Amino acid sequence: MASLVLVAILVGTVVLQAVRPAYRLTVVLGGAALSCLAAALFGVGTTRAIFADVPWDVLVLLVGLGFLTELFVATRVFGVVAAKVTRLSRGGPKRIFLLFTLVMYVASSLVNNLTALLLVLPILLILFKLLGVGKKYLAWTLGVLLVACNLGGAATPIGDFPALLLLGRGVMTFTDYLMTAAPPTLVALAVLVGWTLLKVRPERELVRDPLTTRLSLAVMAALYRRVRLDWRRFLPAVGWLVAMLVAWLVVPPSSGVGPELVCWLGVGAALLSSPKVGENIIRTRVDVEAALFLLALFVMVAAVRQSGLFAAAGQGLAALPIPAVVQLVLFLLAAGVLTGLFSAGPSMAALLDVAEALATRLPPAAVYVGLALSVCAGSSLFLTAATSGPMAQILTERAQLTDEQGERVRFGFFEFLPVGLVAFAIIQTVAVGYALVLVVTRG
Amino acid sequence: MTIQRSVFEAFRVASTELGMCSAAWLFTREVAAAGGDALVRELQETLGLEYAALHAVTERWLGGTTKPAISTGEVVRACAGAANVAVVGVEADWLDALVPLLGDAKVTLLTSPLVPVDWERLAANFGGRVATLDMSAVQQLAGARSVLLTFCYGTRGDQTWVDPLWMRVSGGDVRTQFRSIVGWEVLGTAMQVYPRWLTETSADDFAELVS
Repeated sequence: MASLVLVAILVGTVVLQAVRPAYRLTVVLGGAALSCLAAALFGVGTTRAIFADVPWDVLVLLVGLGFLTELFVATRVFGVVAAKVTRLSRGGPKRIFLLFTLVMYVASSLVNNLTALLLVLPILLILFKLLGVGKKYLAWTLGVLLVACNLGGAATPIGDFPALLLLGRGVMTFTDYLMTAAPPTLVALAVLVGWTLLKVRPERELVRDPLTTRLSLAVMAALYRRVRLDWRRFLPAVGWLVAMLVAWLVVPPSSGVGPELVCWLGVGAALLSSPKVGENIIRTRVDVEAALFLLALFVMVAAVRQSGLFAAAGQGLAALPIPAVVQLVLFLLAAGVLTGLFSAGPSMAALLDVAEALATRLPPAAVYVGLALSVCAGSSLFLTAATSGPMAQILTERAQLTDEQGERVRFGFFEFLPVGLVAFAIIQTVAVGYALVLVVTRG
Repeated sequence: MTIQRSVFEAFRVASTELGMCSAAWLFTREVAAAGGDALVRELQETLGLEYAALHAVTERWLGGTTKPAISTGEVVRACAGAANVAVVGVEADWLDALVPLLGDAKVTLLTSPLVPVDWERLAANFGGRVATLDMSAVQQLAGARSVLLTFCYGTRGDQTWVDPLWMRVSGGDVRTQFRSIVGWEVLGTAMQVYPRWLTETSADDFAELVS
């Protein structure tokens, strides 16, 4: 009974916050409070016990890496890179598509993908305003860009929340995750880009005017005529990021110095290298929404965990009269679909306990990397599945883009859907296929 | 090569981000490089009818003037001794010339959410010399050593034309809060078509109207 009530609160909250995004934080914090109340009344656990089960190290990583991203923002690196990429593209639609996709993949693998998108997308949108775009080209370019954000985030242990959770829980080391997860994300990206360029060919609808291209590039050059990288801030920030990466790679977990402490120390030192900016970032740039949202989810998931439901689900999965490998495939497919419906945070937090049960009978890397990739596939299914999707939609609406005939061009749920379906199919296939390869090679 | 409809949209973006006059010179220069005077004439007869400043610039180009005459002497004199120079509107080429000459004066671009410009990027082009402030807080910059500056287009007698944003700042009460209100004529010639994207005002609004 307790399990059912706690799951109902969790699912009800996740659905309600998706239906009413304007009240997202109020809904999830209310849901977390209700979970604590129900857990106390049913004798499942006290609020103190539930809070002790919250992975605070993941929140430290999340907030710390958010600070580091803001420090990079202050160096103007995103604007400088985007302006250079624009120049390199020479206004060619294929080159714009390829170069911006690559930039977003790399940026998202190192820093918060939402911030990276917020800084790079406006530049791309200005370019689109100058050049003019078609519906299909806009949908596929922005759509693949969003998927590249998700894949970049899944490529490294510090790129996005699901991988951070694996790192924080200590179920995989930094090195092992990086070496295992990065290659399949690259493969998925290459297949998606290849599919888009060879099969969809969205640039075919564009009528290119050499004069407009020339003028657009001249305007972009004028807009960034004297925007320079702030080397004084950039070099220390990069230096500390490299130091953190080295520490994550070489410091063994047995030393007691976990990834969250490396992050805390490294980011602290990076912020101290530009003390005025650093203090301002700490005071004004904490992503309170993301931190509170995840905290509330962790509380609800911890309450369900304390009721023993996840352990029972794991045992139930193990008891199915099918081979463990088939159980893994079913689990990964379910993870992808659930993420598409409920977004990455709730899915990953809830499914990790079930994954731990599977990882006792199968190679852990196959289960965890397969899960991270499946969550990435689900995040790419619908525009609403990841936070960056609605943000991209808002920015694009504000830009009021038009095509060559002056007609408004939009980017919303249905425009993204074809991209989402193709991306989901590709990433989910790579996730399952790669997990099976790992089962064979590491089993 | 002809002037396509997409050039209209590109100019709208450029004029918002760079300023009407700076965008007009940039477009005229690039169009001339791509298609010579014939294409500049086509630009004048199409896009120029929509944007009076562009029409005027193409007219000057066809008359043999191939770059804007950016003269900073008078405006620097009008701003001399000011601790604050608050700027309404954007003219990239003119600000590029002026800002380095303002010495220790704090230069602030007054921003408005009504104008779709990336103000931070705009300010980043001046290497930390230009700050931004929302227009509604203009009084923060007021004082006996403060100058309010905007760009004027095609001044003719006591008539001139300004960025519509100017009308949100100008007024009798604001005039008394600054040492001087300066208008800087940047077009340098009268406009021959109706300037629908600019707002007409009296040259008397300005304590000094320099060129």
